[in-house]
Amino acid sequence: MRHTKIFVGVGLLLLLAATAWGSDTDGVTQETSFWIGGHLIDTSDYYKKVGEYRSFEEDVWPEFGLTYKSTTPNSRFFFKGHYFDRDEMFGMISTKVSDIFTGKFRYNSFQRQTGQDLLENIEAREWLPSVPKGGGKILTHDITDPDADYNYNRKEILSEFSALLSRENNLRLTVAHRAIIKEGTEQLISNSHCFSCHLESKSAKVEDRTHDFQAGLDTKAGNLDVGYKFGYRHYESTTPTPMAYYEDAKHPVKGTSGAEFGSRLNYDGSSMPIDAKPKIEKTSHKARIKGAAGKGQFASSFALSKATNKLTDLSAKSWAGVFNYAVPISPKTRLVAKASATSITADDPYIDVNTFREGKPSAVDFDYIRYSVLDRTTADFTAQIFHRLNPKTTLSFLAGYNRVAREDYPVAGDGTTSSTIIGQAKVRYRQGMKLTTSFKYRFEKTSDPFVSGKGLFEVPGDALEPVHYGYDAATGDSLWGYFYYMREDLWYQAITTEPTDYHEVNLSSTFRPSAKTTLNLKVKGVIDKNGDLDSLDVKHSKLNGNLSFTFMPDLKWVLSGGVSYRMEKSRGPVAVALFDG
Amino acid sequence: MKQTTKAGPRWLATALIAVALLLMGQGLLAGVPDETCADCHDEVAEGFAETMHAKFLADRADLEGHLCESCHGDGTAHVNDEDPALIINPAKADQFGSSQLCMTCHTDDQFDGWMFSEHAGADVNCASCHTVHTSDATPAAAQCNETCYSCHSDVRAAGYMPSHHPIAEGKMTCRDCHNPHGGSVTMAMGDSKRDLCLSCHAEIEGPHVYEHAPVTEDCGICHDAHGSVADKLLKQTEPALCLNCHAMHFHATVVSYDGDFEVPMAPERAGTSNPDSWKSGMLTKCTQCHTAIHGSDLSSQTTTTGGNALTR
Repeated sequence: MRHTKIFVGVGLLLLLAATAWGSDTDGVTQETSFWIGGHLIDTSDYYKKVGEYRSFEEDVWPEFGLTYKSTTPNSRFFFKGHYFDRDEMFGMISTKVSDIFTGKFRYNSFQRQTGQDLLENIEAREWLPSVPKGGGKILTHDITDPDADYNYNRKEILSEFSALLSRENNLRLTVAHRAIIKEGTEQLISNSHCFSCHLESKSAKVEDRTHDFQAGLDTKAGNLDVGYKFGYRHYESTTPTPMAYYEDAKHPVKGTSGAEFGSRLNYDGSSMPIDAKPKIEKTSHKARIKGAAGKGQFASSFALSKATNKLTDLSAKSWAGVFNYAVPISPKTRLVAKASATSITADDPYIDVNTFREGKPSAVDFDYIRYSVLDRTTADFTAQIFHRLNPKTTLSFLAGYNRVAREDYPVAGDGTTSSTIIGQAKVRYRQGMKLTTSFKYRFEKTSDPFVSGKGLFEVPGDALEPVHYGYDAATGDSLWGYFYYMREDLWYQAITTEPTDYHEVNLSSTFRPSAKTTLNLKVKGVIDKNGDLDSLDVKHSKLNGNLSFTFMPDLKWVLSGGVSYRMEKSRGPVAVALFDG
Repeated sequence: MKQTTKAGPRWLATALIAVALLLMGQGLLAGVPDETCADCHDEVAEGFAETMHAKFLADRADLEGHLCESCHGDGTAHVNDEDPALIINPAKADQFGSSQLCMTCHTDDQFDGWMFSEHAGADVNCASCHTVHTSDATPAAAQCNETCYSCHSDVRAAGYMPSHHPIAEGKMTCRDCHNPHGGSVTMAMGDSKRDLCLSCHAEIEGPHVYEHAPVTEDCGICHDAHGSVADKLLKQTEPALCLNCHAMHFHATVVSYDGDFEVPMAPERAGTSNPDSWKSGMLTKCTQCHTAIHGSDLSSQTTTTGGNALTR
């Protein structure tokens, strides 16, 4: 097996030249800066993972950048470009003409190394006491392209424009397009578990295209700001769907029983498509309105969307509504209330599965309607009151409620509808610009959080009735027994990583000993646990601390530094499989 | 006594803003000229001349010579008494006062949510992130992340975990996913909890024939978008993460043969096994076999799973 040692050190060899010049005549200001240099990438003695987002060209490469800025009394033009190598480039142009027109174009590309899984752990044979040299189940793997460097180049091209159509009612048109292009190679693993559990790895091309298009109109209608935006997204892979061969079903040692094993499979002995990328189209319509209501202000939006997977012609429709309202209750008290609701409904296809052991005793037809777990209705509400206790101290209290009703969740009961109550208190002390300190405590209490229903554990006792699955070849007697799926039907325990209890404390302090110097101290701790799972004892904790400073000797220079600490700890159950065949 | 002195100008500031905005609208703003401000604030005045504010407001006849007062209000009282409390200072604005000042001109939909945002509630104001008196008022891409990190230090720490979005490498900014002004994010459609992630990872949207429930629920169940120790932004390494919701695979506890083995049906696949090889094979990385973990439109091989094992 190949042990690839690559990456990562990027050394800036030279900064050959850097220069900047500018001019200011008749209110037209121009600034240009240009620099050229180079970098060396050394890929020895480092592992790939460290350089996930670095280019791997082991060589000296030139590198250059250019910025240009021009402003007139009513217009602005800005360009910035940076060439690192052919896989990593950045360029941006933005322009603004009075309040009439704005435009932005941005190109950004980078490389991502995804690494190769050498599947070395997939090599085993079961020990059986009756077969001294090993005689049971087999795990094997095959790497067809061990020298492959799997990576892709991601390019993002963004264009945004807005134009003022009418100053009278501030009617403005906005149009935006974004393309995300991924090109490279990826590792594909297919697995066939007919006569040996065998994994095969091979290279496949990546050519993914995502196009987003948005167009909208915004205007002022009386005291209200209103707008509409249309969105369209298209995702497609232009590479042919890869194929993999699934071997004939037969006993791994004797080569017999092909018909028996084959009758438990949807396919064997044939080439089948793998990793079929979907072709997704999504459209959305969003209307918004913002304005004053009474003493307060509100902003609301409503969105409709539909996503379709063209590969299967399955669709999901959704709507989402948001209403936010902020109002001063008194000169010292302010209320912010937010409400939102969403609903998603997806198609439910009929799944035609090969009959299990067709034509044999205990044959079972597993055909079913796949009710989508996307289907849901959610509702959120929060109300937060901010109260200025005195000129230096502000208190805030938040109460919230969140509900997720999963209409077609496959397992009834636990996790079908989750409800969360949220509470938060915060005190903030501010002594002018010198010192700001805040302390926050937040809790969330969830009933029936999202779970994997019937995820583990069999019901106590032998609740299974054996089934008649065949006849003894010699005696003709009926044979009785169990199949794997029958044991899985006994599983009862819901299991999850989602908490029922969440607690967060946050202490933050900013000290400015002078107008040019800032010191920050922050400590944040989070503990969450699931009390519904009793003895399973799911618990997660996070602790983060930070100390940093910023020094700004003048308006053009910033010097900053700091140290951060982050600790995460998870505790959860691991359930051993109760049967192994 | 000192508190009373401070409290007064906050009320006064609100009133001053209202009056200033009214006068601006009427073209009647008249207090002290910019030159007077520059007498004391020469460093600010020098940089301000190059700002977009200065350039774009230069042709506003109603503001001619009074650009400072267009944001700071009438400076007469402040000039007379030289009392900092007698002039509007947007940098000191809080949610009870004048955080709306900038919004009178900056009305884009990206600011729709400002009044209701976490930032506004935390008394973060425009000047907290934007240096209005310099030519580069908006934090540039490289500075943008540092600006956010100055408060969100836990995110900075996460961003340097072994697996992370390429923010540290300068290929993304916080703004690619977050709108600090409380409004919508570029290209997000705002229709579900997953929408933000799907705006870039569109291939996961589905709907797929075979679904993985947490993928349809919330990407954050398995991934920590800001960074993680485990590969692919996973909250835990495989198989621990998977075993939080699923029992071990059957066969996982099979005892293996110790030594070289043959595969009768395919001699070329001969290998070497040790007593723990089956455990290693079945309990290292679930996605070696369950490759289509985000959902698939292709049936898996065994009938008893209904084709829903997400293996191809």
